[in-house]
Formats: sequence, C-alpha cells, structure tokens
Amino acid sequence: MRPNRRRCFVPNAAKTDLAGMTASAIAAAVSSGQIDAVGMVEAALVRIRERDQEFNSFTTVTEQRARLRAQAIDVKLTRGETVGPLAGVPFAVKNLFDIAGIPTLAGSKINRDNPPASRDATLIERLERAGAILLGALNMGEYAYDFTGENVHYGAARNPHDLDRMSGGSSSGSAVAVAGGLVPLSLGSDTNGSIRVPSSLCGIFGLKPTYGRLSRAGTFPFVASLDHLGPLARTVRDLALAYDIMQGFDADDPVCADRPVEPVTPLLEMGSEGLRVAVASDYLKCENAVVRSAVERVAAALNANREIEIPEARRARSAAFIVTATEGASLHLNRLRSRARDFDPAVRDRFLAGAIAPASLIVKAQKFRRWYRAQVLPLFETIDAILAPATPCTAPFIGQQTFTYGDVELPVRANLGLYTQPISFIGLPVVAAPVPFKPLPLGVQIIAAPWREDVALRLAHALESMGVAAATSPASQIETSLRTANGNRPTRGRGRSQNRI
Amino acid sequence: MKSKTRKKPKSASSKRKALRLSKTRAGSSGATLVAEAARALGLPIDPAWEAGVTFNLQLIMRHAALVDEFALSDEAEPAPVFRA
Repeated sequence: MRPNRRRCFVPNAAKTDLAGMTASAIAAAVSSGQIDAVGMVEAALVRIRERDQEFNSFTTVTEQRARLRAQAIDVKLTRGETVGPLAGVPFAVKNLFDIAGIPTLAGSKINRDNPPASRDATLIERLERAGAILLGALNMGEYAYDFTGENVHYGAARNPHDLDRMSGGSSSGSAVAVAGGLVPLSLGSDTNGSIRVPSSLCGIFGLKPTYGRLSRAGTFPFVASLDHLGPLARTVRDLALAYDIMQGFDADDPVCADRPVEPVTPLLEMGSEGLRVAVASDYLKCENAVVRSAVERVAAALNANREIEIPEARRARSAAFIVTATEGASLHLNRLRSRARDFDPAVRDRFLAGAIAPASLIVKAQKFRRWYRAQVLPLFETIDAILAPATPCTAPFIGQQTFTYGDVELPVRANLGLYTQPISFIGLPVVAAPVPFKPLPLGVQIIAAPWREDVALRLAHALESMGVAAATSPASQIETSLRTANGNRPTRGRGRSQNRI
Repeated sequence: MKSKTRKKPKSASSKRKALRLSKTRAGSSGATLVAEAARALGLPIDPAWEAGVTFNLQLIMRHAALVDEFALSDEAEPAPVFRA
C-alpha cells in the first residue's frame, strides 16, 4: 500500500541520509513509494537553505516550480501512472542553461538585463520528462571563461572539501552543489575543461561527452566550435542514467549529431573486461607527485601497463587557447563595445585581447585542429582508452595566483586546464574520475574514442567498484550538519542570499 | 581534398622565428597594437586596462607562435567545414 501522498512523506532514516542519496536510489525510493517527491524536494530545499550560505553554489532556487513538479509526480504515482527513471530526483543547472521565466545569466552582470528565457533548455526538458525536478540555477565563472570558480559579481563557489579553496570552473556551482550534497545531479558545460576541472577539484564524477552528442539548444554559448554540455554526479551510475536520458538528436542545435540513442547504463557492469588502457605520456605526464600518484593508482587498477604519446598535445592546447580567446571575443564584441565596465575585469581583459588577435592565426589553429585529430584518432585502433590527469594540482586557495608545477610557478587561472584542453579540442569523450585523496581529492581523465562514452563510463564504474575512484563526503558537509543539528548558525556566511522564486 | 599535411622539422631557426614573431607583434609594440586595434574595432579600452589586455595578448601570441611554427600544407582544411 502506498503512503498518503497528500502529506510530505520522508521516513526519518531517509531524511538523515538524503544528502548522501544517489539519483538512482532516490528514483527507486520515489517510484516504489518509500519517499514521496514533495518530501524529497522539501528536504533538498532545506539543505540548500542551510548549507548554501557557505557553498554559494546556487544563484536562483526555483522553489515554486520544484514544488509544483513534485506534486504532479506524486499525483501520477497515486494514479499508477509511469513517472520515468528519474522520478523525484532533484537536479540543478549551470546558470547558462535557459530556465523559462528567468534571464540566463551565464555568470554575468550584463545578462541580468536580458528578458527571461521563454523555454527551458533541451536537456532540462529531457530530464524533467524522465521525472527529475529542477531546483535552480548554479553559480559559474563569467561567460564560462574561467577555471577557478571565482566570480566578481556573485562571489566564488566554495569547495565543500575546504571552504577556503577554489571549486574550479567554470561549472563551479555544478560541482559544488553535487559534492556538497545539495543535489545528486547537475548539468554543466565544458569548452576547455569546465566540467572536468571542477569535478577534479571537488572530487566528483563528471562526463564530457563527444562533441555533438548532447544538444546545446537553449544554452548561452561561449565558443561554438568547442562547447559541450554534460552531467556531474557522485556516482557513475547516476552519470550514465542522466546521460542516457539526455541523448538524442535535436534540430535546434546545428552541431547535435543525428545518431541513435546508445544507452550506456545496461553496459556498466561489463566493467573493464576486454578494454585496453594506456597512460598518456610526454606533455600529459604531470610533474606534480600527488597528481602522478593519482594517475598511477588508476592505471594499476586498470592494468594499464603501457604509455602512449598523444602527438603534439602541447601545441593542441595552444591552438585551443587561440580559438577560445578569439571566438569568445567575437561573441561578446558588442558587449565589449557598450558595457566593458560591467564585465569581470579578469574576463574582460582576456576577451579584449582575443578581439585584437590577428584572424590569420585563428584559421591556422583550426587547420591544426584537423591535422591533430587525424593523428590522434588512429591511437584508438590499438587501445580503447587513455588515462591523463584532469588538473595539474589539487584545489588552490581562493585568490591564489600561482601554483607550483615541478620546479616552476605557473599562473592558476590560465593553467588549471593544462591537461583538459588538448582533449576537448577534438571533442573526445571523457569521464573525470575522482581519486579520494585526503584532505583534497583529485580527478583522472578517462579518455575514449569519439562516440565511445560507454568505454569511459565502464572504466569509471570499474574503478568505483574497486574503491579506487569515489566521491567522498566532504568534512565541511559533516561539520555544517552538526552545527545545524546543534542549532548554531554557520560561521562563515560569506555567500550571498539566493534568489528564491 | 586529400590530406597532404606534413610536419615541419622543429629546427632551432623555426623556433627562433616564431619567438621573434611573438616579440615583435605583442612584446615591445604590444601596447601600441592594443591601442590601434581597439580604435579600429571601436573597443573602448580604459588606460587602466591596457596592461592587462597587453599581457593577455602576449599570452595569446605566445600560444600562436607555437601553432604558427608548425607547417601545414596549403590544402589543409580548417576543422569546421561548412556544408550547403
């Protein structure tokens, strides 16, 4: 017999564990009547209210919409109707995704003046059709031109493992909200590493699919020829579940490939069997001992005994740098003319420089890109996946300008994407898998051939099953819970209050 | 179009050439380039921003030098290909 769905039903045991529940577990609990969707949403809203003062991951909380969605799901369940594989799963999106009724900020002050979006982004529509419930929009680096998670307009999204440290960016809020237990699932974008860098620094799983796999319709662009969207979650199964639901052609995105849906979830249990894995050498071999240790641990678990060179990876990173600076600047040219003072100064100076760079170099970078692709793809004839670091260091402190790399100091802002840029430059699918080092986690990229997200996700799942990769609960999450339980207010309180609608 | 790309040997002279390119275009004359290009494009650059913009242009040019020194054939197609 189902519980009374007109009342918020969350068993006490479930309530205390909600922050740790996966999307799969929530969907199973809601579908079977153990928890109702309204109760799930209310519990998530309480968590956001209590914890996000410190994390600063949400810019808008869509309370009313979420409650209405949850009520609708509970009504459907009461009637015995199907509710989808993500029934009652709370999720949130980087604030460059269109959410009907609110302006799409893309991390900027300028976009606040835009009219509200008239419809949701395609990927939000697809997740909600599967029963998921949107809880709001998440903080991000301005116009996605960021690896740090800092934002002069909305404040830095703070790393739940150490609130004084960077979350990574530009999908900063997307990683923080998941790592901090506010939602089990979020969506982000990745142009040069913006899903993989924050996933690494915050210790969660992130998937950057093949370029053209997931529709970008209804999202604010950055670099059209490099932009990808993808999910972030605390387990590989949740990544795969969301990814499977979001697949499929969309005529509203001219880059979206007309390919059949290729579900990965049923393949996860195949694990690493039969897959040949190598470790990237040369440019993609990190000088930092802790980073090398993370890659070695993953390589040992996957029997990756050979090294492989991704040819001209350093040059590929440079070419990606040029394409990003110039295409991004072109997108913002009119805003740079009319509202330059309203940009984040760090972002503005980069865009202005990109606007000035000679066009001949851009074409050359795009020609190199095709050459590079032609050299890299044959590597996948003899191997199925390549391992490489996701970031060159663990999370730097907020405001930190440089980090030590080998025996040199490198600027943080420009170099956190050192290892991610050469991979997204040719659109390869990647899972960032977190190695649960203490006190700070670190991600490893599992890189596969185009359209072989299944390979990267299977390997990540195998690592998770072995305990080599895991999204661990941050200490700050536990501390905040204890403070809240004791009736104390959080001590930091440096975040802004969210817009709750 | 058949691919006829080839990799140019990374000679010391080509590296030096690339470095000169970087220095000439964005080094000593970087600030001038920024001011002139900004005027041509109608971009208002506050004098206080010039150092930051010049620094970032130099960074782009250093990356560009690395790509520029890599020889590709005349027939090499850019990655995005328009189809009618």
